Amino acid sequence: MKRNLAIVAALAALAGPAVAHHGWGSYDAAKPITVAGPILTSKYENPHVTLTVQATDKVWTVTLAPTSRMVNRGALVQLVAVGKEISAYGYPSTVEKDEIRAERITVDGKTVEMR
Amino acid sequence: MTEDAPAIFQALEASNFAATIRQSVWLYPFANVGHIVALVCFAGAIAVMDLRLIGALAATAPAKVIGRARRVVIVALCALAATGFLLFSAEASHVIMNPVFLTKMSLVAAGIVNVTIYEFGAKRAVMALPPGAAMPQVARVAGFVSLGIWIVVAGLGRTIAYF
Repeated sequence: MKRNLAIVAALAALAGPAVAHHGWGSYDAAKPITVAGPILTSKYENPHVTLTVQATDKVWTVTLAPTSRMVNRGALVQLVAVGKEISAYGYPSTVEKDEIRAERITVDGKTVEMR
Repeated sequence: MTEDAPAIFQALEASNFAATIRQSVWLYPFANVGHIVALVCFAGAIAVMDLRLIGALAATAPAKVIGRARRVVIVALCALAATGFLLFSAEASHVIMNPVFLTKMSLVAAGIVNVTIYEFGAKRAVMALPPGAAMPQVARVAGFVSLGIWIVVAGLGRTIAYF
């Protein structure tokens, strides 16, 4: 019985880290930035919608939400089409160069939350 | 797409098959949910097998308990491989460069080697044991190693998204 309890405790300890929120771990929430400019490319695909945006300093890769969430929030494929002016508030990646994960985006005066 | 990845994985990610997974509204979430459901079935069944090998559930006949759990393990492992391949294909060039994914795959290989050693080295003796009999040392080690490997594999699988 003691051994069974030890196994259960070990399983529970390992299960702990899995509770953290998916996907935001490799972005630096302490350094939020806003990337604004025209959309150069737009991939409306899973697991995340991905844009490249021509900001004043450089071209940023902007990672948005999964397609189903984009649709639910009203951010349809036409909203983030190539050529649209977008403003994306988010956090720079600690892994990929020049990439941010957007917390929210504003296009055509419409603000959509991504989380 | 990452150009650092070997060409075959870039080609897989660029294929129509992978594009279909990414562009479908339901296919990627289906693979994601399916992978977790298969994992739950796999984890439950393999825990029964491994615990019996270690010596728990000692009042049961090893052949019956392990034999039935083994069928679930095989079906669940196939489902894990199939749904995992869908998830992998969608982002192949990135995932193949992910150190956590590579560690996970190495451990999956180790787990399969471990069960193969058991199947050829100890299975026959274990299956012949009556309820209550002591497990051979080889079987106990195989059970412990398997339990450890698959728990770590599950943890690493969840961790891929953070690297």
